Amino acid sequence: MNAHSSELTAVAKGITADKLNKFYGGFHALKDFSLEVVPGEFLVLLGPSGCGKSTALRMIAGLESISSGTLTIGDRDVTDVLPKYRDIAMVFQSYALYPHKTVGENIGFPLKVAKMPKDEMERTILAAANQVELADLLDRLPSQLSGGQRQRVALARAMVRRPSVFLMDEPLSNLDAKLRGNMRAELKHMQSELGITTIYVTHDQIEAMTLAHRVAVMRDGELQQLGTPKQVYSDPANLFVAGFMGSPPMNFLDGEIKDEMFAGPGITLAAKGYADTAYATLGFRPEDCTVVEKGAGQLDAPVYTFEMTGDQSLVTFRAGDKSLVVKMPNDFEVAADETAGISLPTSSACFFDQATGLRIRPAS
Amino acid sequence: MSAPTRRYSLFEPNKIGELSPAAKFILYSFLAAWSLFVLFPIYWLLITSFKTPAAVNNGPFFLPWVDFQPSLHAWRDLFILDFEDTFRAYSNSIIIAVSSTALSVLVGSMAAYSLSRIEFAPNLITILYFVALLIGSCVAIGVYGADLWLTLAVAVALFFLLARAVGKLYTVRLKNGDILFWIISQRILAPIVVVVPIYMMFQSVRLLDTHIALILTYAVVNMPIVVWLMYDFFSSIPRDLEESAQIDGATMIMTFREIVLPLSRAGLSATTLLVMIFAWNEYLLALFISTSNAQTLPILVAAMNAGERGILWWTMSVAIIVMIIPVVVLAVVLQKYITKGLLVGAVKG
Repeated sequence: MNAHSSELTAVAKGITADKLNKFYGGFHALKDFSLEVVPGEFLVLLGPSGCGKSTALRMIAGLESISSGTLTIGDRDVTDVLPKYRDIAMVFQSYALYPHKTVGENIGFPLKVAKMPKDEMERTILAAANQVELADLLDRLPSQLSGGQRQRVALARAMVRRPSVFLMDEPLSNLDAKLRGNMRAELKHMQSELGITTIYVTHDQIEAMTLAHRVAVMRDGELQQLGTPKQVYSDPANLFVAGFMGSPPMNFLDGEIKDEMFAGPGITLAAKGYADTAYATLGFRPEDCTVVEKGAGQLDAPVYTFEMTGDQSLVTFRAGDKSLVVKMPNDFEVAADETAGISLPTSSACFFDQATGLRIRPAS
Repeated sequence: MSAPTRRYSLFEPNKIGELSPAAKFILYSFLAAWSLFVLFPIYWLLITSFKTPAAVNNGPFFLPWVDFQPSLHAWRDLFILDFEDTFRAYSNSIIIAVSSTALSVLVGSMAAYSLSRIEFAPNLITILYFVALLIGSCVAIGVYGADLWLTLAVAVALFFLLARAVGKLYTVRLKNGDILFWIISQRILAPIVVVVPIYMMFQSVRLLDTHIALILTYAVVNMPIVVWLMYDFFSSIPRDLEESAQIDGATMIMTFREIVLPLSRAGLSATTLLVMIFAWNEYLLALFISTSNAQTLPILVAAMNAGERGILWWTMSVAIIVMIIPVVVLAVVLQKYITKGLLVGAVKG
């Protein structure tokens, strides 16, 4: 595999997006999107559907025009440059394989367009096909391939031209769960081996967490937070990121911070160093807290359901109109309708301002 | 769990091999009867072309050599005695059908492609302003005898000077669906309605009884069908394919040639066949526009109905037989391109 990779690597380039905006008529699809991707980085754009992540990717690809702002790939301003001059390759969610061309012709299409000599072209196609383990299937048509094989053809076609940037639009979402896991690992391996700058769009946080060097979380056309998977998960910048990341997501309780104490329905918790906030929200991850005897924790609530998922147990509490989920080891058991306590270490609590949704940080 | 069984829906046919013998017998007898019903006129046409006038008039006779002695006299009449007329009508039909089909498929599919890929938003008021100027110019020239070129110059100048201002008065934007409906609505009126205006138009430009008149007319009449069919076809080609080709470096023309054209071959074949058959068989418009030089086969056949020698059933049969041969050949040739499932594998896993 390594023998071929040298043939397929190119000089990785960085990407700088500076205040990109996109308007569809009166609809503001992307708002002041600024981002810097370092050469060789694997960056994931993550968000719910309709958050503008695909629009951002398509603008970087040149398939959508940029309403305002500038886009730089390498040292070159490509804001108004046609897709084919941007030195990029893209993998589509639908794979976009040409149904009337064989696997070999599909992989070789970018080379054919570039008018590469025939023998060199055949060698390069074979190298790319070997990389994704498709060398035996070069004469098949896409309709004769399985979903995973089609996916590999799309990947091979993307890397055959040695682009300096890979763009991927939910490339794994049409695969079944098991295959998705395999392809995820292969994709990650391949990207680190080729070292090509990659921007990857997904709504699946597991993909984002496992693949990315850095994750950019988006909502309603706005960038919410940009950071390593660990930062985005354990140090969320606002309520949306906190609620979007994690499965099950973070628990929230509304209350008030006064005199360095958080007070909510049935709970008081030290909030050392935090300024007084009349409308605050406490957030804590299901795995950061534990179920304890009634009265032993900071909060008592009736157990709503108890679920065993195999490797862990999920206990859902009902606190007022909110559900609180606690992750416990799989040997833990509790009966529904029992009242139990939740113990939560002060250090793992996050506080948010309800009005702005932003994280409140303690004065150090 | 039991093995998954396939559920048949109410109208899903069983395989013929799975039917009971009685059901098979009934099915095949019905099919045989139906084929007889469909094929009999063609058989009748064929034997009539070999009958003498006496055999036709004293008939009905069904079996050659049994009921009547076949004769080649009708074939000789048409291909030796009247060779010039037959050949002219035949070549006219071919030239007109091929050219008009090529023109309407070329222009119509380009229109369909752009309608399926580009969002147009013409302003209704601007269009109405254009139509008003057109009508005004026609009235000025036709009724008040204004100078043609002067009126045209004034109308064009007025349009370009005021189009933007007029368009801003009231904005109603049309969409692609409206344009498409307008195009297909051209086929709602019966052709007889426009025959007289078309006749007068070609008369005034001295193009009556020429190939070009029939070619233009058929191309225009067929255009809506081409646009309508091809729009559906182009819309079914995923845009991802073209975008992917674009990113891979292909120019627009290359994308069209390498991706869009091969994928729309089935649609183009079906549309071509349909349009060609229409042009080949068309009678009404040809009757008005062509008199002798540009006369097509349907006119020739119909003329045999009204000669001074009475109705010549035998020569008519010969003419009809030679007329349907090219259409059958075309259908057989194009049939292999009209296959479904070409897009399977393009998208989805």
